[in-house]
Amino acid sequence: MEDEIDFTTGDAGAFGTNPMQCSALRTNGFVVLKGPPSKIVEMSTSKTGKHGHAKVHLVGIDIFMVKKYEDICPSTHKMDAPNIKRIDYQTGEVCEDLKLPEGELGKDIEGKYDCSHKALQINGIMRHEQTVQVWINCRSK
Amino acid sequence: MMAAALGPPEVIAQLENAAKVLMAPPSMVNNEQRQHAEHIFLSFRKSKSPFAVCKHILETSKVDYVLFQAATAIMEAVVREWILLEKGSIESLRTFLLTYVLQRPNLQKYVREQILLAVAVIVKRGSLDKSIDCKSIFHEVSQLISSGNPTVQTLACSILTALLSEFSSSSKTSNIGLSMEFHGNCKRIFQEEDLRQIFMLTVEVLQEFSRRENLNAQMSSVFQRYLALANQVLSWNFLPPNLGRHYIAMFESSQNVMLKPTESWRETLLDSRVMELFFTVHRKIREDSDMAQDSLQCLAQLASLHGPIFPDEGSQVDYLAHFIEGLLNTINGIEIEDSEAVGISSIISNLITVFPRNVLTAIPNELFSSFVNCLTHLTCSFGRSAALEEVTANGVASREEEEISELQEDDRDQFSDQLASVGMLGRIAAEHCIPLLTSLLEERVTRLHGQLQRHQQQLLASPVSGTVDNKMLDDLYEDIHWLILVTGYLLADDTQGETPLIPPEIMEYSIKHSSEVDINTTLQILGSPGEKASSIPGYNRTDSVIRLLSAILRVSEVESRAIRADLTHLLSPQMGKDIVWFLKRWAKTYLLVDEKLYDQISLPFSTAFGADTEGSQWIIGYLLQKVISNLSVWSSEQDLASDTVQLLVTLVERRERANLVIQCENWWNLAKQFARRSPPLNFLSSPVQRTLMKALVLGGFAHMDTETKQQYWTEVLQPLQQRFLRVINQDNFQQMCQQEEVKQEITATLEALCGIAEATQIDNVAILFNFLMDFLTNCIGLMEVYKNTPETVNLIIEVFVEVAHKQICYLGESKAMNLYEACLTLLQVYSKNNLGRQRIDVTAEEEQYQDLLLIMELLTNLLSKEFIDFSDTDEVFRGHEPGQAANRSVSAADVVLYGVNLILPLMSQDLLKFPTLCNQYYKLITFICEIFPEKIPQLPEDLFKSLMYSLELGMTSMSSEVCQLCLEALTPLAEQCAKAQETDSPLFLATRHFLKLVFDMLVLQKHNTEMTTAAGEAFYTLVCLHQAEYSELVETLLSSQQDPVIYQRLADAFNKLTASSTPPTLDRKQKMAFLKSLEEFMANVGGLLCVK
Repeated sequence: MEDEIDFTTGDAGAFGTNPMQCSALRTNGFVVLKGPPSKIVEMSTSKTGKHGHAKVHLVGIDIFMVKKYEDICPSTHKMDAPNIKRIDYQTGEVCEDLKLPEGELGKDIEGKYDCSHKALQINGIMRHEQTVQVWINCRSK
Repeated sequence: MMAAALGPPEVIAQLENAAKVLMAPPSMVNNEQRQHAEHIFLSFRKSKSPFAVCKHILETSKVDYVLFQAATAIMEAVVREWILLEKGSIESLRTFLLTYVLQRPNLQKYVREQILLAVAVIVKRGSLDKSIDCKSIFHEVSQLISSGNPTVQTLACSILTALLSEFSSSSKTSNIGLSMEFHGNCKRIFQEEDLRQIFMLTVEVLQEFSRRENLNAQMSSVFQRYLALANQVLSWNFLPPNLGRHYIAMFESSQNVMLKPTESWRETLLDSRVMELFFTVHRKIREDSDMAQDSLQCLAQLASLHGPIFPDEGSQVDYLAHFIEGLLNTINGIEIEDSEAVGISSIISNLITVFPRNVLTAIPNELFSSFVNCLTHLTCSFGRSAALEEVTANGVASREEEEISELQEDDRDQFSDQLASVGMLGRIAAEHCIPLLTSLLEERVTRLHGQLQRHQQQLLASPVSGTVDNKMLDDLYEDIHWLILVTGYLLADDTQGETPLIPPEIMEYSIKHSSEVDINTTLQILGSPGEKASSIPGYNRTDSVIRLLSAILRVSEVESRAIRADLTHLLSPQMGKDIVWFLKRWAKTYLLVDEKLYDQISLPFSTAFGADTEGSQWIIGYLLQKVISNLSVWSSEQDLASDTVQLLVTLVERRERANLVIQCENWWNLAKQFARRSPPLNFLSSPVQRTLMKALVLGGFAHMDTETKQQYWTEVLQPLQQRFLRVINQDNFQQMCQQEEVKQEITATLEALCGIAEATQIDNVAILFNFLMDFLTNCIGLMEVYKNTPETVNLIIEVFVEVAHKQICYLGESKAMNLYEACLTLLQVYSKNNLGRQRIDVTAEEEQYQDLLLIMELLTNLLSKEFIDFSDTDEVFRGHEPGQAANRSVSAADVVLYGVNLILPLMSQDLLKFPTLCNQYYKLITFICEIFPEKIPQLPEDLFKSLMYSLELGMTSMSSEVCQLCLEALTPLAEQCAKAQETDSPLFLATRHFLKLVFDMLVLQKHNTEMTTAAGEAFYTLVCLHQAEYSELVETLLSSQQDPVIYQRLADAFNKLTASSTPPTLDRKQKMAFLKSLEEFMANVGGLLCVK
């Protein structure tokens, strides 16, 4: 993979959060639900009574602890969306101190770790780093 | 065999033991024991001539389950050994079973029913056998009935019910391994005589009971059973004279059967005493809701009487008049029970559906008008009760407290049928309804206005205690909601693809009163939505239709003012939605009416909304203002924003309206604001943003001078391009591409491109295509950059899908080739990045395969050009690009086959379980087979195999829609083989296999009539290709027939089938002749081979 990791730039400005109108959030996007940044896995709207205003139900998975969070808020509310910096790594070059997520995903990565020609994708979020997705590339097989 | 080896007592012991095992709780026996026990019963039922043993069992065993199995064994053996049995012994067997049941009133219900079923099967099997007389059963039953003993009468009813089920055409028939034709013939004979006899017996019983004063519980239970039986008879699905396929299709489903008996029923059913009996019965038992259901159902069936039973129209009129009289006598003067409402409604609905209008109006005048009055009264009172029931069912406060999910359909869709009827009635009675709606709306608006003002004052007085009682507001919103929906359905139609016209009733109504109308006051009412209508002098001399519209504008104005006063949180988004929905529907039909489309036009209409009028310019400005305000205030209410942006599209999709829209300064502001991607417009959901982009592009094709046009595009489209190029051409784009703001920029651009493609029309395709093509090339570069970001990759493919979908049909050769090339490159990049890649994610859902779905959609869209092509050798592009030498040679086939190479290996059987993927996949492969059959044999071997396997799978184990697609794919493949004349090619061999599949499907399986044409065409082509194999199939089938009569009939039918096409050739005329013979073939012998 040609993606490079740039260790030199601190790039602190890219981290942090910015407010987003609830209705503008998307599934698979990221949002801060009660503390840690979470990946939105489910999003639906409802209203109380036929003439009520829309409310957004969010289900997110905390990307560090793989814990589920839920929230309901009026769709006009602003919520914090983490700024995301995403870096792609190839397993060969992954540093040992990279934090693997808990649960299935973490085991998956460990299981595939010894095979070459793979790429890991890591998102750095709010000054943390976390592996969120694994691609396995077996082209050379 | 078992019966022969063991004596009867041993057999009984063995069976009773086995029954014990089967009935034991799961913890007591293991699987093996259970299977062994099952096996014992199965082989017992298969044993030869088990009659003596079975009789013995029935007489001695005390185990119910064993009795049940003995009855089943008798039933199966009688049918199996029918020809070998002496008629006398069958007769005595039947008598034995009947007596057995009679003598044992305490038998378990399931045992008794099974024995009666055996009796019914014997009677049915015997009904076609002239050598045996089973009719005596009716004599016996009538004796049982006249016994007066309720238990015996109940038993008689059970016997009749068993017979009825066995002979009926529904799935109730037992599986006795005889042809559908047999079942059909039995039914026909039965419905002529025996069924009528059952009905007469039932009527007698009912008459008897209806005369009695006091019925005890036991008698009333007998009464109820016979009433249910009568209902069953009246719901009989009468078999029409010609059998065959029709019958088999009917075997599948027969719900809500209307009563259409044969002529022989005339005397029975046209006897007015029968009808009267059922009215009497209902009056007697109507308080018992269970029984009332049956009696009302009987009446509903009688209300649906039609067909050859009526000798002439006169008799039909008499019957109807009589029926209506009976009905009115029953209904009038009583308080209708809630439980009766559905039954009575279906009686009336059947009457009106079945009896032609001229018969309905031929009944005596007075009767007719009382009927209509009664109908009106019932409609109103049932409607009211239904509404009340809903409220009480959900609790009175429900409207305010119930959680409503986004999946809940809007009232305007959920109740569209009812609303359409209400609207239709409103048009017919326009004189009454339009002023009524107007006054109701105006009154509610005034109240809403007052209510909101009070809230505002309250808030000003004590801003902290924000909790206000919303009940009053909520009720007003609910009223206004329905009033707007009704008005919308009354004033205009929702048309798709055709020009909506002002309903003639509305036009006539307006014209009729135009002489009393003061045009200026009308315009004043229209143009001052902020004022109360009644405050305008002379307000009663206005056009009523325009005043109704202006009442809704007044609602809209109150909403707008509340927003300006910061009361948005008190408003109802639902009402906001209703307003823009109505305005869209209204604008489509009335705004800038095209006078050429009407014979006559109302002067108020043409003055207020006609071309070149101040009125239309004013109203367009007003609507545009509303749209802009909604998009910023309601950006968080998705549905409302979506309806709003649809209104905007309506305003610009027709050139005449667009010309006025672009004269508004607001429009330009909106365009600029959107191009800047600043709040609040960037809060809108992506579908809304797409549609907004579409509207902005459509507006750009309005009539303006060159300079203005230049300026417009500079402000709408160019910023898109500039921003996009600036982002992707940065030196460090590769590093920055995952930064949030970069990604947002890219996403917004891609969304906008989809919106632009959606705006394609024949007269703007040249400009839009050229504009989009520049982007497509850059998009392919993005595929590489974002290869690990699936949502972006999907969006990129989606842009291609949209462009192909909207534009390919207009593109001439060279432009189409440009697009093919771009698509091919896209697929190549996709392929490079995805080859051998597995995706690991915790959730494997259908959306994970969005990219596959999109690629299949793209390929299908590219192929669609072969069906729909409006291009005239680049005529629409003339002047845009001087004749370009088309020497490049990328064809649709290349792109599609490349794509198929990519897709086929990925479409596993697991993926086919996802319905959308499955349907898209089959649509694609059928298209390919139809359009490029010559390319199929050239596919690599494993791809070819999996394609053939997919077709077989689709024909045998998918939905009927998919099956049809696969059948359609077979014809061109077989034709291709015939052309190529290679008898050893894999395709040739594959088609031979398909011949057998289609043969079985047509001849042996229950056949879906919708598929006959597709299956027939495929079949004929395959027969042409494999004549020898076809003959072999026919031979095999014939040789398996034991009955010489059936053999002959089948042989003749097969001969006739191919008579017109011997030897079969791929000639259209012959093919049509074959298809016609196939219809006949199916009707003639279809029922013979299909066995139940």
